[in-house]
Amino acid sequence: MRALGTRLLAPAILVAVGLPFATLGVWSLAERWFFPDLWPQAWGLRAWRYVFATAGGQVAAALVQSVAVATATSLVSVVVALPAARALGLYDFRGKDTISVLLTLPVIVPPLSVAMGLHLWFIRLGLAETFVGVVAVHLTFCLPYAVFVLWGVFSNYNPDFESQARSLGASQLRVWRQVMLPMVMPGLIVAGLFAFLLSWSQYLSTLIIGGGRLTTLPVLLFALMGSGDRPVAAAVSIVFVLPAFVALLFSARHLGGQSLAGVR
Amino acid sequence: MGALSLKNLTIHYGRQPVVADFDLDIRDGEMVSLLGPSGAGKTTILKVVAGLLAPTRGAILIDGQAVTDLPPEKRDAVMIFQKPLLFPFMNVQQNIAFGLKMRGDSGDRRARAVAHILALTRLDGLGRRKVHELSGGQQQRVALARALVLEPAILLMDEPLSNLDANLRQEMRELILGIQSELGITTLFVTHDQAEALMMSQRVALLLEGRLRQVGSPRELYHRPADPDVARFFGGDNFIQGRMRDGVFETDFGPFPVEAVSGNGHRRTATIRPEDIQLVTDTGDQPDHLPGTVKRTRFEGMATRAWVSCPSGELVVLTPRSGLSAGQAVQLRLPPEKIRIFPD
Ligand SMILES: Nc1ncnc2c1ncn2[C@@H]1O[C@H](COP(=O)(O)OP(=O)(O)O)[C@@H](O)[C@H]1O
Ligand SMILES: [Mg+2]
Repeated sequence: MRALGTRLLAPAILVAVGLPFATLGVWSLAERWFFPDLWPQAWGLRAWRYVFATAGGQVAAALVQSVAVATATSLVSVVVALPAARALGLYDFRGKDTISVLLTLPVIVPPLSVAMGLHLWFIRLGLAETFVGVVAVHLTFCLPYAVFVLWGVFSNYNPDFESQARSLGASQLRVWRQVMLPMVMPGLIVAGLFAFLLSWSQYLSTLIIGGGRLTTLPVLLFALMGSGDRPVAAAVSIVFVLPAFVALLFSARHLGGQSLAGVR
Repeated sequence: MGALSLKNLTIHYGRQPVVADFDLDIRDGEMVSLLGPSGAGKTTILKVVAGLLAPTRGAILIDGQAVTDLPPEKRDAVMIFQKPLLFPFMNVQQNIAFGLKMRGDSGDRRARAVAHILALTRLDGLGRRKVHELSGGQQQRVALARALVLEPAILLMDEPLSNLDANLRQEMRELILGIQSELGITTLFVTHDQAEALMMSQRVALLLEGRLRQVGSPRELYHRPADPDVARFFGGDNFIQGRMRDGVFETDFGPFPVEAVSGNGHRRTATIRPEDIQLVTDTGDQPDHLPGTVKRTRFEGMATRAWVSCPSGELVVLTPRSGLSAGQAVQLRLPPEKIRIFPD
């Protein structure tokens, strides 16, 4: 019974995850596909030729833009969240509950409202339609997420490990680098990945703050979809999902069986 | 190599006083047990000596040099925590070499020192093991090895045996005693277990609620407690009130002649250990014996503990005699030389 269940698990996951992708794949290869047929009437590489040749420059530029924005957002999130989450996880201080509520705000409030609200300010600050501006608006929700993830890590973290390292002769700086960082690394990767994926999938906030100047993949994707060309939209979608998928696989391998927090 | 001197240490957590006016001197190469119940402030004192916590007042001297203001990594004092705290992302030998690496020793020297200490702590062949593959006892030994390999002037051990089961504890105790006397490392050994403190060291310091109550040999603390709290901590449950009069301590349990005639007319408290009270079951009238009734008993292996109700109060007796039962009439003798009268 159990063996059967285990044997069925992997195929089931594969189907659940794979089916939407398969549909996208079929769409991207369809030359003609009309209702009510279950299968395209004609196949062809038109959409892929469009993505890689005709619009190749645009797609490549958007890919680079997306990677740059998501990487920057993810790095800043992790670097800022690390000390903040450490303080929240290890120490009790007044205002901790307030901080917790404030942190959930950007997560609850729709990105649209945040972006609209920030837009005027960003114009005044000269951040509108800039790379920094887009990263900044992504940070409003990526950073709280990263803080939450790392807060959890640090509330399971035993600071005595650091005291032990100090007593064994490590300076404060080396304790942070050589004891704390390796201990929270799995959590740090998860937090970074969350921030990356969240930024990667942003459309509205990028559009509002970027003002069309910063064309990330989702922005390009929506533009192409607007033209009603489904095979092309499907091909761009695949280009959009693949890097995120690779990032996920990479970190899954990196985490391989490790617990998220340092062992108490 | 390392004499440790703690002078007048007072320690607060925030505004909360935790340790007050703590004084202790440990000779070079000596091992002293710091004994006290949970929450007494033992770990706090170790952290202050290790430099992980700053005292509010007082000084720490190693070989006469004040180290009070030095950061932990600059002190020649290494603390071993209650939990092994092995770095989970390092294997056994990397853990042991951690301090050497921080100190800047070459790879060669590190390898040699680690091999030597692995043998000393009976961990041969486990150098490449992952930390989570080790048993609790092995983990504790790695923690010990990781500190010993640094050959510190002062070793601070915080209840290193409390996480081990009884058999392992005995083994580890012998190992620590052996290594300590072989290397002659000045050691402050913290424990909450009175039996362990008495076994481990020539001198015991008893800490109650952040105050040092008595320092002395195990026998002194056991047989000549400085005050009723110390006696109570060591399981002396019998307290007798009385008055000094002309070389005699007069109590409800009878008069006891005493040597030192002091404080004539003053009220005093005395104690007698449960195992020092003699219990007989003969009902015939015995001179110097108090009649009593057994209220309840508890079998403790080598002896039986009996709560005996006498006309002048209840006494706890530890007797090798078996077959006592509740309600039984017995007679007790309190040998005068076993009575310990507390100074005022
Ligand atoms: N970080 C801390 N903050 C506040 N109080 C503490 C802290 N650590 C310990 N205490 C308090 O200090 C007292 C002594 O603790 P500790 O030194 O750990 O005792 P022991 O090691 O003898 O069990 C206890 O009352 C404990 O609650
Ligand atoms: Mg403690």
